[in-house]
Amino acid sequence: MNYRFEGKKWSRLWISISVLIILLVISYVVNMPYFTFSLIFALILVILALSWDFSSGVTGYVNFGLPFFVGVGAFSSGYLYYTYKLPVPFLLFISFLLGITSGFLFSIPTLRVRGPFFTLLSLLLPLLGTDFILAFWTVLGLPTIGYYNLPTLSGSLDYVLLIVTAITAVISFVLYWITQTHFGLVLRGIGDDEDAIISNGLNTFPYKLVTFSLAMGIVSLGGAIYALFTSYAGVDTFGFTFLMYPMLIAILGGRGSIAGSLPAGIIIVLLSQYLSLYIGSLTLIIFSILAILLLLFFPKGLMRSIQ
Amino acid sequence: MTILVVEGLSKSWGGNKAIDGMTFSLEKDAMALIGPNGAGKTTLLSSIAGITLPDQGRIIFDGIDITKTKIWKRVGLGLVKTFQVVRPFVSLTVRENLELFSRVHGGSDIDSVLEVMGLSQFGNKKARELSHGNLKRLEVAKALMTNPKLLLLDEPIGGLSNNEAVGVIDALSSLKKKGTKMIIVEHRLSEIFPFVDSVVVMDKGKKIFQGTTTELFDDEKVREAYMGGETNVDS
Ligand SMILES: Nc1ncnc2c1ncn2[C@@H]1O[C@H](COP(=O)(O)OP(=O)(O)OP(=O)(O)O)[C@@H](O)[C@H]1O
Ligand SMILES: [Mg+2]
Repeated sequence: MNYRFEGKKWSRLWISISVLIILLVISYVVNMPYFTFSLIFALILVILALSWDFSSGVTGYVNFGLPFFVGVGAFSSGYLYYTYKLPVPFLLFISFLLGITSGFLFSIPTLRVRGPFFTLLSLLLPLLGTDFILAFWTVLGLPTIGYYNLPTLSGSLDYVLLIVTAITAVISFVLYWITQTHFGLVLRGIGDDEDAIISNGLNTFPYKLVTFSLAMGIVSLGGAIYALFTSYAGVDTFGFTFLMYPMLIAILGGRGSIAGSLPAGIIIVLLSQYLSLYIGSLTLIIFSILAILLLLFFPKGLMRSIQ
Repeated sequence: MTILVVEGLSKSWGGNKAIDGMTFSLEKDAMALIGPNGAGKTTLLSSIAGITLPDQGRIIFDGIDITKTKIWKRVGLGLVKTFQVVRPFVSLTVRENLELFSRVHGGSDIDSVLEVMGLSQFGNKKARELSHGNLKRLEVAKALMTNPKLLLLDEPIGGLSNNEAVGVIDALSSLKKKGTKMIIVEHRLSEIFPFVDSVVVMDKGKKIFQGTTTELFDDEKVREAYMGGETNVDS
């Protein structure tokens, strides 16, 4: 008997995917571009949150480097579009591969240290990387302010929503499936007590390396989707928003659960857009403080701590 | 061939010599490693397992010098240690705790390990819901998953009731019969002595005795250091 595939375990993911489908239907029925627009933005943040949850949420290696990989995806799609006029699917795919590569290079030194040291390095290395990319861009005479007028995923906002929904669903499914395999079991074990795994015969490093490379690949894919959604790739993709929201979504969705990110993401983004109408950019600050507090006081995730 | 040879092993914590030139080899199948609190027993087992890096000395396991071998590689050679203070994976089920290691050193069958350790009925329980007694068994079960040639047990029956202890000792006896060698650190001597073939006594990081259990009771130095001159070994 393969206990991993009992229906109960998968039900949470199916609930999430049903939520996605319901929202899709609502968006078509309501037919308000602003709502559709918010939903797409929310799903992009959900993609980032899923990656953060899959890598950091499950293993406990809190990674502050997300914005760098969003930037890698956005900038590389801009660059590849302007230089080679590649079609959109290629831009997405190559951004994903570049994300995996830079995630791999990022992971080799950082994953050798733990806890606060890892978190610190995860913040410092990407800052260095961002400066490096921008300096490099200047030397090459490329536009550091960004790339405008990028092609969009589709001419119709409804189709964009459909494409982003499909990508989100596939990513949710794949990441959730991985957490239910032996590989995922090792990641969950790392979250509990990594040394106890190593001293019982498993070398955890390759598991972490694969996990963070894949996760950062998905983050870059998210960055590319964002750039092609807004038709713009600039330095602001390296910004704070792309760390704080995904982290908050992953934590509120139940850290390490994967399935919780989707409903949490939709609620948080819609809420924050509503709040922005009244308090503007204060919203990001409030949500950031909330994310940090949750990280400090519920290191194992809100749901698990309440249990 | 002796499966384990330890030569001149030393380890200090700060200025404190936890192990001081330990030399011994595992001659028979099961050995008890005893000594008063703070004698250095855990530090010695940890050094053999690779969890602690010794300052000096050599460790030969199964004919291979493993002094500098990484912990997880040692397990892959068939050498594994349990923790004195149990370290379960609390958010995983008992079965998952074992499944983690199902591919290490060839692995063992999860159901038979659950059976041997008397944990069959708890397979689907989260480790955080287990009693202390069952956590102690899970600690041994995790090690058994790696199909060890030599099992290092750090107080496997510490804190267990007499009944629970008998269960664990029975499980260890059946393993021993199947050819698994072991070194057991325990304070509950009367319960493990019937089952071991030899004894090493440590005090202040040094070996003060090696021999059989019967020889042990006649040894003057041991009585001094370990039992404060009294003959009641069941401290
Ligand atoms: N990680 C450590 N850091 C500093 N000192 C340590 C460490 N581990 C052990 N010690 C010290 O080394 C000495 C030996 O400790 P050890 O735990 O090996 O003894 P033990 O024989 O296992 O004792 P017990 O029977 O209480 O388990 C003690 O003085 C202890 O305080
Ligand atoms: Mg000890």
